[in-house]
Amino acid sequence: MGETTPIIQVRNLYKIYCVGEAKVRALNGVDFEIYKGEFCAIVGTSGSGKSTLLNMLAGLEKPTKGEIVIAGKHIEKLSEKELVAFRREKVGFIFQAYNLLNTMNALENVALPLSFRGMPKKERLARAQKYLNLVGVGEQARHMPNQMSGGQQQRVGIARALVVNPQIIFADEPTGNLDSKTTMEVMRLMQQIVRKRHQTLVMVTHDNNLASYADRQIRIIDGKIVEITINTPQEDAVWEDKRDEED
Amino acid sequence: MRFSDLLVMSLNNLKRRKLRTVLTVLGVIIGTASIVVMMSLGIGLQELNMESLSSWTSLTEITVTQNYSMDPNASNEDSFITDDVVEKLSKLDHVVSVSPTLSISVIVRQGVYICEYANIQGISQEALHKITLESGGRYPDPDAQQMEMVFGNMVIQDFMNSKTKKYYYETGELPDLDMSQPFFVIFDQNAYYQSLYPSGDTAVSPPKKYMLNVVGVVAGGTDTYNSYSYSIYTDVEQLKTQLKKVFKRNPIPGQPTNSKGKPYSYFIYNNAKVQVDDMDNVKEVQQAINEMGYQASSMIEGIENQQRQAGMIQAVLGGIGAVSLFVAAIGIANTMMMSIYERTKEIGVMKVLGCDMGNIRNMFLIESGFIGLAGGVIGVALSYGISYLINHIGGIAQAMSGMDGDISRIPLWLVGLAVIFAVVVGMGAGFMPAMRAMKLSPLAAIRNE
Repeated sequence: MGETTPIIQVRNLYKIYCVGEAKVRALNGVDFEIYKGEFCAIVGTSGSGKSTLLNMLAGLEKPTKGEIVIAGKHIEKLSEKELVAFRREKVGFIFQAYNLLNTMNALENVALPLSFRGMPKKERLARAQKYLNLVGVGEQARHMPNQMSGGQQQRVGIARALVVNPQIIFADEPTGNLDSKTTMEVMRLMQQIVRKRHQTLVMVTHDNNLASYADRQIRIIDGKIVEITINTPQEDAVWEDKRDEED
Repeated sequence: MRFSDLLVMSLNNLKRRKLRTVLTVLGVIIGTASIVVMMSLGIGLQELNMESLSSWTSLTEITVTQNYSMDPNASNEDSFITDDVVEKLSKLDHVVSVSPTLSISVIVRQGVYICEYANIQGISQEALHKITLESGGRYPDPDAQQMEMVFGNMVIQDFMNSKTKKYYYETGELPDLDMSQPFFVIFDQNAYYQSLYPSGDTAVSPPKKYMLNVVGVVAGGTDTYNSYSYSIYTDVEQLKTQLKKVFKRNPIPGQPTNSKGKPYSYFIYNNAKVQVDDMDNVKEVQQAINEMGYQASSMIEGIENQQRQAGMIQAVLGGIGAVSLFVAAIGIANTMMMSIYERTKEIGVMKVLGCDMGNIRNMFLIESGFIGLAGGVIGVALSYGISYLINHIGGIAQAMSGMDGDISRIPLWLVGLAVIFAVVVGMGAGFMPAMRAMKLSPLAAIRNE
């Protein structure tokens, strides 16, 4: 890989939920690093704590104990307001259920995170269109989410995550609601774009097969990391795409 | 986030739930309209009272008279209202004009009709021109050869038929006076009565009669009372000239005499009417005149009292209206809460995507504020409609106030205030839901499936 700068450092991370009297240890002392430009998969069964880990990395949940340092910043110490700003500036998010706003068409959905940054309408719509083209749904820019297939919706979701040009993209079971053919397409799309643009992608999945697309897999069981495997780069994953992206 | 983007998002959110938005706005419309209409009634009632008051007296007028001393031997000379005093009064702040009044009792006759207690008031040209005349009349000319008169519209009722010795109030028949013909005016009443009923041996010859013209009659007809109804008006300078001609060096009835019983060499007016520029200044000017050593009186105390009462009525009426706006505010809060429950996921997604918490709160505040604005504007429009109906549908206004004129009046300040109030109520009702939306956990977005 050759990448040595860790963009995400997790140290001794604990998350303990209190359910009545009982204490549930969702994360039980986790340490790892994710490097810049890496595609990393966090793999685990349901209830293993993988989603909790992702939520904490994205600053959606506070850890009980431990440190998360992203790009030199201690995420666990930020206030909610600062966390929002952190996500706005540094992070893209791809959801399992796409979570497009039903009242807006594809183009407006992609442009939404840019509007949070105060970008003028004309500029952000142009940029959104460019990213819709990049993920291959440029033709459907004016469609409403309910007029699109799941695969198309998730492509819009990916465009929405990419449009802010984030340092890190978090994806929570991004293909969980898709059929196997579409899953392959979406996975390849993500893999290809992230590689080309040299962005960091952290994906949570329960599917070992999907995890094999990643550069590295972090396997997690019952709140503990049990295995970190490095995948050998697949030669067949070199893609030609005419809609190359300029910036 | 730009304000324009926030605005567009908020409006889109309202648009996609049209029926609910319309119903909520309807609540605000009714609330606003009930406040505006109630207050317009209060305002109308007050203004009607003021108008009826000002129709028989001027609200900005102060009547200045001399100070009457309790001591019968003391002279009131210091506080006589003379030309000098008129001059002095007109130099006070806020005083627009000062008109002296010189009044004298005379006897007027034409043909068989006679009025034995007519009252002629000499007033300034300015004051004369304040009188509204019946069409065809004109004001007395100050440069005329002979004194000219304006008859009060009810003066005609005071004439008696000298043959039947009956008055209008006895017969119900108006004297048949011809205003285009001159009237005989007798200024020296003493001589008149002494010649009619001679006492002892001194025979008094009847006093001289002067033929004077009536150039105008006060508007209003013989059955509508106003403050000019019962007197005869003329130019004050002409009256002075006339009196000098009639009485020469003899004392003029009504004019005071000095301690030796001799008349003064100048005219002493009965009073002076001071016109003040604004009702708010009447009190101040009145006090200044009192301090100068004259008696000053005006309607201001009565008016203040009435305004206080009217203010109370307005507050009560406005309060009744406010109840329905309060109900509407609860409606807004309810709508916004519903909206938040529906949009929990959406709000969460927006927070995950990096939408500022303040922006989310503002979005909801704009939504509820807009409901208030729309309701306020339409409510005011509706109020105008209701107000028009109250004023124009047969006799509602008259039945309520017992007076002529519009009873429901919506001044511009009320319009502005109502709209602003509706917006504030809307935002106030939306505040709690907005704070709640702001604090929603972004995790909800991911948990909800």
